[in-house]
Amino acid sequence: MARHSIDEGAIERLVKLLDEHGLTELEYGEGRWHVRVSRAAAGQPAAPAPAPPRGPESEQPEALATQESAAAHPGAVTSPMVGTVYLAPEPGMAPYVKVGDAVGEGQTLFLIEAMKTMNPITAPRPGRVSQIFAQNAAPVEYGEVLIILE
Amino acid sequence: MEPRVFDKVLIANRGEIALRIHHACKEMGISTVAVHSTADSDAMHVRLADESVCIGAAPASESYFNTAALLTAATITNADAIHPGYGLLSENADFAEMVSEHGFVFIGPSADHIRMMSDKITAKHTMKRLGVPVVPGSDGAVKDAAAARRLSDALGYPVLVKASAGGGGRGIKIAESADDIGTAFATAQSEAKAYFGNDEMYIEKYLGRPRHIEIQVLADSHGGVIHLGDRDCSLQRRHQKVLEEAPSPALNAEQRDQIGAQVVEAVGTLGYLGAGTLEFLYENGAFYFIEMNTRLQVEHPVTEMITGIDIVREQIRIAAGAELSYAQDNITFTGHAIECRINAESPVTFTPSPGRISYYHPPGGLGVRIDSGIYAGYVVPSYYDSLIAKLIVHGKTRNEAIMRLRRSLHEYVIEGVETTIPLHQLLCENADFVNGDYDIHWLENFVGPEDQPHAR
Repeated sequence: MARHSIDEGAIERLVKLLDEHGLTELEYGEGRWHVRVSRAAAGQPAAPAPAPPRGPESEQPEALATQESAAAHPGAVTSPMVGTVYLAPEPGMAPYVKVGDAVGEGQTLFLIEAMKTMNPITAPRPGRVSQIFAQNAAPVEYGEVLIILE
Repeated sequence: MEPRVFDKVLIANRGEIALRIHHACKEMGISTVAVHSTADSDAMHVRLADESVCIGAAPASESYFNTAALLTAATITNADAIHPGYGLLSENADFAEMVSEHGFVFIGPSADHIRMMSDKITAKHTMKRLGVPVVPGSDGAVKDAAAARRLSDALGYPVLVKASAGGGGRGIKIAESADDIGTAFATAQSEAKAYFGNDEMYIEKYLGRPRHIEIQVLADSHGGVIHLGDRDCSLQRRHQKVLEEAPSPALNAEQRDQIGAQVVEAVGTLGYLGAGTLEFLYENGAFYFIEMNTRLQVEHPVTEMITGIDIVREQIRIAAGAELSYAQDNITFTGHAIECRINAESPVTFTPSPGRISYYHPPGGLGVRIDSGIYAGYVVPSYYDSLIAKLIVHGKTRNEAIMRLRRSLHEYVIEGVETTIPLHQLLCENADFVNGDYDIHWLENFVGPEDQPHAR
């Protein structure tokens, strides 16, 4: 799981500032992380709570999905057939897509070979490639998650 | 002197038979590949197989009948051979051919023999030519209702109008007299066209109170052919077998040996390969061939119990080119075996009852065998046939087997779905059954019309 390294020194300094200035609560943030230190009512210890980061370039502190958990992801694209998946039109060529690419509906993502025929697998909707599970020249089964488009 | 058998077998089937095939493979040190639909992802054989491949959506047409997906799955897993089980594609000659063309061994007979026996007219002609007694009837196809009338008048009513492309009890109509032969012929023909895409018809004499007795054979590629005795499968409802036993209570050893020898001779002359079953109607001491099944049968366990032979193992060995493990002299029949097909259905109306099995406890003990993939928590899917388990018992005598069957049925718990266990309990308490005194109409008379079940 993705984790921010806890800057214990910074937290200590915040607690000290809290005490020195008789504050009840002090929140400090930088870039994508924030810490809030608060003095709880009577006798309860304060606990720092990292707030979930927000920002225009956004996201992705979330753990990358495993292929099993990805099946439930709304952006998952699954294999419509059994076969062997290829990431590029031909060996040696660049793959159809890579992580971060924006794809349009109907755009070819992979080829799946079965019974000596190549079958293009296309994006069912527009999106951005956030994760690719398919491995080049690997066997795939019906329903297997190939890629996540967000 | 064991030749190298396969490294890996793909099991092109589902349910209890897929698990059966998996068992035989593992006991031979063969790796298994389970192919399955999305509805069967949690099937027991899928969980146990060395590898599994989801080949398609739940409907059988998209998965288990999906030849391309099956062959692709075999390719990507590097399987050596494919076992088709029973039903599904097991008697599809085109599939058998494609399996071979793609470089896999089809565990079964040649496509030509499958094709030959799928056409019921050809099958009958072939058997007649080979000296096997057949049901009296038309010599080949019957052109039209007028020809049907002439033939039936000569043969004597009642008669059965049958579809040449049919089988397993489908595409059959009875004509009681000259008055209804016209209608029977026309109806049967249009049904045949609708179901099988082929309206070629033939006619057979309708036997009054026959038993259904079948002979199991095994044939290898070295000229070895043996029979493994008979099974009595007379207890049927709508042409579906419900309970089977071996040996038949109606035959003595001499009759068994005689029909067995005739069958072995015919199968040997044919050059058949693998396991097969010749089905007969038996009445007044005479056998009448009706059809040959070129595959493993559902009821094969009763034969295994009385002979001690693993038929699936022999199928695999034969397909790998090995000689039969046994000669006819080695085959002995010991005791008596009875199999109950347990379906997820109402035991009264036979309405299917798919759903989650909440509680499961199978019977055990000496001489009790369960062929089933179900377990507590398993969801019986609605997409396939309703057979969920086979309970097979063996005893030193038929009476012992019946006592064992009664005990086992009372112990067997399957909750969450309706099952036909209560029907089997009634059967094994019934005097006619206990006396072995039944024919192919008996069970339908016993259960009565489904909307007016007999009070029990």
